Parts: sequence; structure tokens; C-alpha cells
Amino acid sequence: MGDKEDEVDGDMISIFHRVDSDQVIYDNKTIKVKMIGKYVMGDLLGEGSYGKVKEMLDSETLCRRAVKIFKKKKLQRIPNGEVNVDREIRLLKMLAHKNIIGLVDVFVNDEKQKMYLIMEYCVGGLQDMLDSTPLRKFPLWQAHGYFLQLLDGLEYLHSQGIIHKDIKPGNLLLTLDGTLKISDFGVAESLDMFQPYDTITTSQGSPVFQAPEIANGLPEISGYKVDIWSSGVTLFNLTTGLYPFEGDTVYKLFENIGNCVLVMPESLRQYPTLYDLLEGMLAKEIQDRLSLAQLRQHEWVIHYPPIDEDPVPVPPIKSDELHNMTVLPYLQQYHYGSSDSLHSAYITERELNELERQQQQGGEQQQLESGDDPPPPSPSPPNEMKKASWKKPTSCLAVKKFSSCRPS
Amino acid sequence: MEPLDNVPSNYKICSILGQCFNNLSSVYLSKHTVTNSLLAVKKFNLDRMTDEDLKSLHHEIVCMRQLRHPNIISYESSFLDCTDLHVVTPLMGFGSCKDLINAHFNFGLPELVICFILQDILNGLQHIHGKGYIHRAVKASHILVSQSGRACLSGLRYMCPYSPTRKKVHLFPSSTAYNLNWLSPELLEQNLEGYDERSDIYSVGITCCELANGTVPFAETPTTLMLIEKLAGATPHLLDCTTYYVDTGQDMGEDGEENACSYISEQQTQVLTSRKFSDSFHSIVELCLSRDVDKRPFASNLLQHAFFKQTKKCSTSLSEMLRPALCLDESNVCEINNELECMLNINDTFSSSIQVNKTEWKFDSLDDEVK
Repeated sequence: MGDKEDEVDGDMISIFHRVDSDQVIYDNKTIKVKMIGKYVMGDLLGEGSYGKVKEMLDSETLCRRAVKIFKKKKLQRIPNGEVNVDREIRLLKMLAHKNIIGLVDVFVNDEKQKMYLIMEYCVGGLQDMLDSTPLRKFPLWQAHGYFLQLLDGLEYLHSQGIIHKDIKPGNLLLTLDGTLKISDFGVAESLDMFQPYDTITTSQGSPVFQAPEIANGLPEISGYKVDIWSSGVTLFNLTTGLYPFEGDTVYKLFENIGNCVLVMPESLRQYPTLYDLLEGMLAKEIQDRLSLAQLRQHEWVIHYPPIDEDPVPVPPIKSDELHNMTVLPYLQQYHYGSSDSLHSAYITERELNELERQQQQGGEQQQLESGDDPPPPSPSPPNEMKKASWKKPTSCLAVKKFSSCRPS
Repeated sequence: MEPLDNVPSNYKICSILGQCFNNLSSVYLSKHTVTNSLLAVKKFNLDRMTDEDLKSLHHEIVCMRQLRHPNIISYESSFLDCTDLHVVTPLMGFGSCKDLINAHFNFGLPELVICFILQDILNGLQHIHGKGYIHRAVKASHILVSQSGRACLSGLRYMCPYSPTRKKVHLFPSSTAYNLNWLSPELLEQNLEGYDERSDIYSVGITCCELANGTVPFAETPTTLMLIEKLAGATPHLLDCTTYYVDTGQDMGEDGEENACSYISEQQTQVLTSRKFSDSFHSIVELCLSRDVDKRPFASNLLQHAFFKQTKKCSTSLSEMLRPALCLDESNVCEINNELECMLNINDTFSSSIQVNKTEWKFDSLDDEVK
């Protein structure tokens, strides 16, 4: 809800007939530019339990970025929340690889109790892409391309002694040029450099992707092979649209994984090499499970499947298929100031209807609340709102100082 | 021509010419003592460069060696002296176009000069595009002019490959803050549409404005405003009597406070309103700056443009047209060099360590890539 003061001033009054400020309950969508350091904030890209992910624009290089915003209060409510974030930052700062999400900057705002991780910009994740298709799977050649990149990233991670522990389509993001980025190091573990084995003791990853040794609750687990297993489940999912193990409850699921009775879907029988690869990655016994080096040599990995189908595209965000920058309206507001025609250019039909509906509700509410006869709110949308005309920019040379956050 | 050797003692440093590589490196005029030829040597202190800069330098050298073309700066040799890497390139006597503008043509180069330069640059670009690369940094400071008046493209470190199967590129060039004003809207847009080699053509259009007007469009504009204006389709143009009007109607405009173009001086106004560029020049710039990529021609199409007809009937050489700018060549370098030697009594080569870059000699016409 917008502040009352906001609605009083500005030309909004002339658009929405005559409605007293205290009766207006809709948000008038005041667009205001927000800066974190040199980064301009854009719209929401996604939301997790820890906080939000928003788009950003580096105002110096004009490079698109994303920001992961952590709220201290929210983190404290999640088990291991703060520890996980600290670890994620520490690991990401160490890592530099084409297929690992890059951490660009970190800001802390003590006053707001928020932390901002500026990351490389990604257009979407494999999970979103899967969800956007009816069969929830990729053409083999497309899955193959992602799998090779996953192997590259994983090889690098393991070479740095890091176990990701939460490999799944949802944590594999894509940049604009289709480069796969392994992301979310919240539950990853870094092995001690002088540790003789890759033994890990805990795992907090997503249940469906957990290896049998974790499902069975073994006290000591081989770390690298855990990532191989979850990569196997991921590949299984990308190519079939199914999960190798399912269960109505986590308990049931873990029982199925623990017993490891792998039933391959019939559709996989026509691809014997893929079938063999998945069996090798989803082997119950650690010593039978393929290593990264063995994976590299595998038939299915070496041979590129023919490009016989159209690729699954990255699904549109807010019906924008091209995933255009979302910071533009904020920048326009900042540089040109508030303007009706400018404003309306960014209000969609849906938003318009929403406004209208809210407006009517506002009227009804008012009538219920007070016995007086209130001025009837406008039922018809204002004409100006329909015209999405672009205001011809005039050269404006004034430079305002951006308010900014303190870098950590 | 035989490739030059990489023996440090065979190169005699004469004087500093300017800065390049975003001021990370200095360019020196030097003499190859074996062949007695004058060369430009870029000196990089490898210890003081970041990994990213090193990668970028490596990329530039690889690209220079791969692309052999008269209109692309060539790589002659390189050698190490302690931790300094020296990259040897031919001496480009007139320096960069940016230097020419700064020193002698503050309000822009003559149209005919631009015509010759543009033709060379498009030839260079055609070669680069043909090899499957996008230059991504076409601008006046990356255009060097040789003694004979041949223009060469430099700044190859921003180049990126693109696939010949007509798939678009989505990579955003790193460390590109200095080039933003020249970059195409579709490159800056960074959406799933991507960009192709015609992004360079847009930069050519901006560079034309820069060469003709003396300042790059959006020069005084905050980057974020430049971004939204470009994406909205604002197209810069050549400033002459047909496009530049003096606002005389308003009294307040004279204070320069109300006038949007207050940074344009009276002298400049006079120059701008008294000159007229040809229609074909205006039209080629407009073509290059089409917001719609499909309306923007390729380098090979542009070379057929009517604008270049004037080069055929022209008999004067580029170096004459560039007067009063002086070309740095054997004759005047010897002079300068002798004086220099008298003054400092230097006769040093790279193996000795006397620093000559403290001398206050100024070679107005020769600064490579000042910013």
C-alpha cells in the first residue's frame, strides 16, 4: 500500500478522477531508484527461504547482475541459516570457474540487518525450464550439453576439495549465452587440505537427490561420490522427466533410496549407453559408483547425441520472453522524473485490471465503513493509462548523487 | 618483410609517445638498431597487472597475430626485459584519431578525411568479421593513422568470436567501462536476443559522429541515462548547419543554464552552424545507427555506399589534408632524437636502466589511446 502522502501530490490525481487521498487504498506504483553501492536495483527474480533474489545493474560498466538479499531475522529462523550463508560467501570468494556462479561483491547494511551478495546474472534455472515443458524433460542433446558443463564445474569443485552436496536442476542456472552455472553453496563443504579421505559427516541437501549412504544414515560418507549420485539423479531427471526414486513421505523416499531398487523407465532402453551411464552413477555401493574420471571416458559422455529436436527455451519472466532489463523503469524515473505517459508505458493490462478491481473494492469498503455518501470511485480505467506512448527523451545533463550503502 | 627479432638490446628507446591499455601501459617511440627502422613499443609491467588484464593482453596479442590485414594494427615482435613485456608494433605516424582531434581538430575532422579513414576501417572490420570475430571497441582512440595516411584498427583485446552459424552473441565484454558510449543498444541491452557483428557497425556510426563533431555522443551523459536513451532509440547525429540550431528565442538560454547544450562554446557554435556535411555522410551515419539491427548494413554493404565516391576523385593525400598535424617520421624524429641525446646524453638501450620517460617532450600528434 502506498503512503497517503504519495497519492496526494503528483499528477495521479488527474488520472483517477476525484478521490480523496484517504480513500485510495491501491498502490500507485511509485517507482523509485534504489542503489546498493554502484548497483541499481531492479525487479524480483526469485525468492527463497533465506530472502529474495533481485536483478541489478552495475551503473559503471552497465553489466547486468543479480543480488541475493539475506535478512538477518529470516536467517536466524532457519536452522544453520547464518552459518550456511557465511560458508557460502567464503566458498564463493575462493572459486573462479566458468561453470560456477561468480560472486562479484558483498555489501552489509547493519542498520537494515541485511546482507547483499552481488552475483553474475542468470536468466533462469534448469528446474524452471523443465517446469515449463509438458514432459518435464530436455531433448537428449540439450541435456547432454548441460551435463558436460556440470561435469566441468564439478571437476573444478572437487579439485578444490569442495563437495557441493546439493546438485539438482534447481541449483543449475543458465547465463544469457547458455553457460551453466552451479549455484547455491549454502550446504557445501570444504574438505581439510590435509585430510586423507574425502569423508564428510553431514548432509542437508534436497531429499530426492540424496545418495543411499545418506538415506541409510551412515556416519561417514565419501563426499565426492555423493555429488556423483546427485548428478546421476539430475541427469535421470533431465532426460526422462522422472526421478529414479520416489516416496510419499521423506521416510518412505529414504527407504526406497536406501534399498536402491532402481527401476529404469522403458523409454531409456532405446539408449543403451545412457542407460549404462545412469546405472553407473546410481550404483548403491560407493566402490561401484563411477568416478568423475570414469564419467569422462563414458560412451554417452563422449558421443554427442544428434540435434533432432528444438531446444527447451528459458521460460519468459512476467511474460517477457527476452528477459529484458528490469531496471529501466527505475532509471527512467530517476533521470526524467515522474511523468504520466512514462508511467503508463510500464503498466500492463493485467496491472490495469488489478488497479481497477482494487479501486472498486476501495469504493465498496468505503461505503461499508461510513454511512456518508462518498464520491464514487471511477469504474472505468483512465484513458491515459491505455496509451503506452513513449516520451521522447530530452538530453538531461544533471547528475544526481545516488544514495548508497556502505560496502562491507 | 622479415619478422623483427626479440633481442632487447636491438631496440633503442627514444621517447614516450603516450599511454595505452587503459593507462596500464606506456607507448614508446623506439628504433630498431639493426634495421634502423622506427617502431612503437608498448611496455607492460607484468608484475603490476591483474590476472584479468594479463588475460586481456594475451588475447590482444593472439588476435593481432591471427589477423593480418593492412587496416588492422600488426604485431611485429615482443620481448621481455626484467618483468616488463614489450610489444613491438609499427609506428603509426599520426597517432590515433582521438589525438588528432585533441591536438588540431577540436571541432571535428574534415569530411573527406573521415571518408578515407572510414573506408579503411570498414575494410579492416570486414576482415575481422570474415574471420568470425566482433571487434566491440571501434572508437577514435582505436583508429591509428600511419605516415602514408592509412588507418588501422587497434584495441583488439575486446574482440570476441561469434559462431558462423549465425547464432547471436550474448557475452558482455569485461572491463568495457571506457567504451560504453560507442557500444550498440542491443549489446548493452543484454537480453536473450543477443547481438552480432552489426554491433560494430553501430560503433562505426558513433565513431563517425565523434570524428566529425570532435566529441563522442553522450560524452557528458551519465552512463545509465545513455543506456536508456540508446535503448529508447535516441540516435546521435553529425552536427552541422542542418542539424544544429541555436536557440535564440529564449533570453534565459544565453546564460547557458537553461540550454541543454551549454557545454558547446560560442566558437564551436560558429563552426557548427557554418559547415555542412554532405547528404550521403548524414545518410551513412543514420544507417549505421539504426536501432533495428535488421536495417543496419554489414561492413561489406556499407563499403558500396555513395559516401565513398568522393575518395575516387580526390587527388590530395591524407597527410596533406591533416595539416597542421605533423607526422612523426624519420626526418623529424632524428632531429628530436639528436636534441634528446644532447640534453640527456642518453644512448641507452633496454639493457641499461636509465629512465627516459621523465623528459617533458610532448608529441602532440602521437598519443596512443588517451583514455
